[in-house]
Amino acid sequence: MLEGVNTEYYVILSAILFALGLVGVLIRRTAVLVFLSVELMLNAANLALVAFARAWGDLIAQSAVFIVMTLAAAEVAVGLAIIVTIFRKRASTNVDGLAELRG
Amino acid sequence: MMLFILLALVVVTGGLVTILASNAVHAALGLVGTLLSLAILYVTLDAHFLAAVQVVVYAGAIMVLFLFVIMLLDAARPVSDPNPIPHVGEWAGGAAAVLSGALVLIVSTFRAPRPLEAAEAALRGGAPGPVGEVLFTRFLLPFEAVSILLLVAVVGSVALIRRPQVQDDPVLEEQSVGAGSSAPERGGEVSL
Repeated sequence: MLEGVNTEYYVILSAILFALGLVGVLIRRTAVLVFLSVELMLNAANLALVAFARAWGDLIAQSAVFIVMTLAAAEVAVGLAIIVTIFRKRASTNVDGLAELRG
Repeated sequence: MMLFILLALVVVTGGLVTILASNAVHAALGLVGTLLSLAILYVTLDAHFLAAVQVVVYAGAIMVLFLFVIMLLDAARPVSDPNPIPHVGEWAGGAAAVLSGALVLIVSTFRAPRPLEAAEAALRGGAPGPVGEVLFTRFLLPFEAVSILLLVAVVGSVALIRRPQVQDDPVLEEQSVGAGSSAPERGGEVSL
């Protein structure tokens, strides 16, 4: 497809996307938005995997991306269920005050 | 190359909207834009099956779930009170700069293992058939493990969301619709 953009550019884009996700996880304060930023980081990893799959001409990395997507779906289902449960208890999903599990 | 630059701009813009928008719905829609343009990038990378899965699973199912929960929890309101952690924005920016700098440094040492044309031919377009062949031969055990994990996730989220108290008798509920159906369980918490 196309005339082959070098793998490096895709990986650099993936690095930028991962950094954006990291910033989001650190500065966002609503649990749902922290989750959105985690999705950003997962997608950055997926993009790098697909780019490397093309560089090596091997479909193993693409299968790994498929499994990562499934894991992300499971993670979102359980994570959002936890967020809804927390919201029922506290009427807020602000992560600043969540310290119940602190030892 | 032009297409890549265009898509990369959309991806980064969507990411920026995701992490900076004060309205949570806008953030989610920014992420949808990022996911859709990532799907097009997957097509340019000869991963046609993954592009389809990306649109259906990520931009479709997962983002609908997110938007549903955002609206359900009224999370669209921005958190306005001052952040208890001082200078968190500066720290996050510094961490992102260090991380992306390190990643770009690592990438600069990357040498393509084989010519792109030969590698692309070996991918066979990333069609469902070849990808499934790898999944069901070399990755059969992880594939089955993931299917069990999905089952556990579904059961787990249902168990988490379930109300702890015993359900009322539906026949008795019908007789007192309006007055009795919602009032008893609302103790200052949102009925879901």
